[in-house]
Amino acid sequence: MTGPSRRRGKILGGTAALVLITVFWASPVLILLTTGLKTAADFGAHGEMSIPRTFDFGNFTSAWDVGQFGVSFVNSGLITLVKVPIGVALAALMSYSLAKLKINLRRTIIFLMLLGLTVPIFIAVVPIFTMLRQAGLIDNIWGLLPPYLAFGLPFEVLILTGFFRRIPHEVIEAARIDGASELSIFIRIVLPLSLPALITVAILDAVATWNELVMALVLLSSPGHRTVPLSLLNFQGQFTTNFPALSAGILIAILPILVAYAFLQRWIVSGLTAGAVKG
Amino acid sequence: MVADTAETAPRAAPARQPFPGRSRLARNGSLAGWTFAAPALIIYIAFLVYPALTSLSISFTSWNGISPTRTFVGLQNYAHLIHDSVLQTAARNNLIWALVTIIVPMALGLALAVAVNTRIYLRSLIRTVLYMPAVLPLVGVGTIWGWLYQPAGVINDLLGDIGLRSLSHAWLGDSTTAIWAITVPAVWVRTGFPMLLYLAALQGIPVEYYEAARTDGASAWQRFRHITFPSLRATHYIVLALSLIDTAKVFDLVYAMTNGGPGNSTQVMGTWMYFNVFQSYSFGYGTAIAVVITLVAVVVGIPYVRSQARQLV
Repeated sequence: MTGPSRRRGKILGGTAALVLITVFWASPVLILLTTGLKTAADFGAHGEMSIPRTFDFGNFTSAWDVGQFGVSFVNSGLITLVKVPIGVALAALMSYSLAKLKINLRRTIIFLMLLGLTVPIFIAVVPIFTMLRQAGLIDNIWGLLPPYLAFGLPFEVLILTGFFRRIPHEVIEAARIDGASELSIFIRIVLPLSLPALITVAILDAVATWNELVMALVLLSSPGHRTVPLSLLNFQGQFTTNFPALSAGILIAILPILVAYAFLQRWIVSGLTAGAVKG
Repeated sequence: MVADTAETAPRAAPARQPFPGRSRLARNGSLAGWTFAAPALIIYIAFLVYPALTSLSISFTSWNGISPTRTFVGLQNYAHLIHDSVLQTAARNNLIWALVTIIVPMALGLALAVAVNTRIYLRSLIRTVLYMPAVLPLVGVGTIWGWLYQPAGVINDLLGDIGLRSLSHAWLGDSTTAIWAITVPAVWVRTGFPMLLYLAALQGIPVEYYEAARTDGASAWQRFRHITFPSLRATHYIVLALSLIDTAKVFDLVYAMTNGGPGNSTQVMGTWMYFNVFQSYSFGYGTAIAVVITLVAVVVGIPYVRSQARQLV
């Protein structure tokens, strides 16, 4: 064999080995597909792992109805769509101040905000529950908004402050000399320059919001107010032995996040590495 | 690290001269800074700092969550922690959880990163699929694995197929295996993150180093030992710190897969707090558990917080 073709063989061999590992890694999700698409009879005869004889979407329609996933998609979608822009905006304003403006107690504020990264949400569960009960916001998805905002801020501020600091000071100084207000510098210069960081933070925040369990479990109770994780918990309880329907329900519940991930994975990957490596 | 211009450039804006008669904030030039920071700071204090302090005060009381008065009991809730056998199980489970879900994902993530970083096709697709479990809702992950672990489930079937039927087991129904079984999906979820970071770090090492080492006749192990490994030190630190912070937050997988059972054997601090508060209505005691987890998490996280804060100040 010649040099280049031997090299190609090596690359192909490595690729094949990694593809096998990757398929194995993804198999818990793949088995959902091969099971969810089967009729009960096919499942009974051939188990989880065989290719379905006939593609049957009956499990999906019944899972959709029983799990009431339509309602929970709307609830999770609403809270995510409202929470993420507000959270990123609040964090961006603060981060601009911490990175580029004069503010006394800067060190104290930065330390206080970053300390929030370590705080488990458990510590806020009882007080938030009693606060919202007094405000009549128990069993209301909008009751999730204040704690979600507060617990999302530390990570957003960490990433955005780190990013804003790398904007050259001269750019901002020049605009100030031209008489631009701090708000217009922030909106016209800082935000457009930071679009990649803002988008990454927004995506990661959206994933965390969509998936959150503890607060939702504590604050929400009636079926019409469930978020996706709560619907899935409830659904799981009803279908412990009907595997095809259970698989279909799990797939329905994770599908939006899988589709979003497929389209947005570049932002997630770059954001995680940039944020964690450079801080 | 990126050179920082903000440190050396003058900060004071020409338009903001000190001006007698204006407020102290305006005079020292902090007014704009505080105005920008205030909305986030208010939300953070109102819904994180204040609730945390309220929890601390609730933890010194006996309260059923409904009655308008809380009875001050001093350190009684904390004294009770010592006598609560489920709490000891929970603390032990948190420790198991920390060890397994920090070490295994780091080792596996590094191995996968090194493998993905070789010359292969489809690299970005492979990387995307390997990271995928990390974005799934943990309740979904728990439901999937709860089903794989069922007595008649896929894992036992597979064991049967390879002739190990004797090992098949009610993985989640047996209190000796349950907590270990739950750590497996946690590893599945958590391996992607170190893999991404290690991969980024590996790709940041200049190829010339390896070429030079190869010309000097360095073996593969020597190249790993003297080039790769030193370059990954910062990544080890970040991954370890973030995993330590995360490990105190364990709740979703346990709640979704075993609900703390069988016989409370898989309770962790988070779930045991939840059960005390919302099933036994022991708000004071449950909150004391939350205070303990939080103190541990904050103390363990402080070195990381300080290192990050130093980079931002």
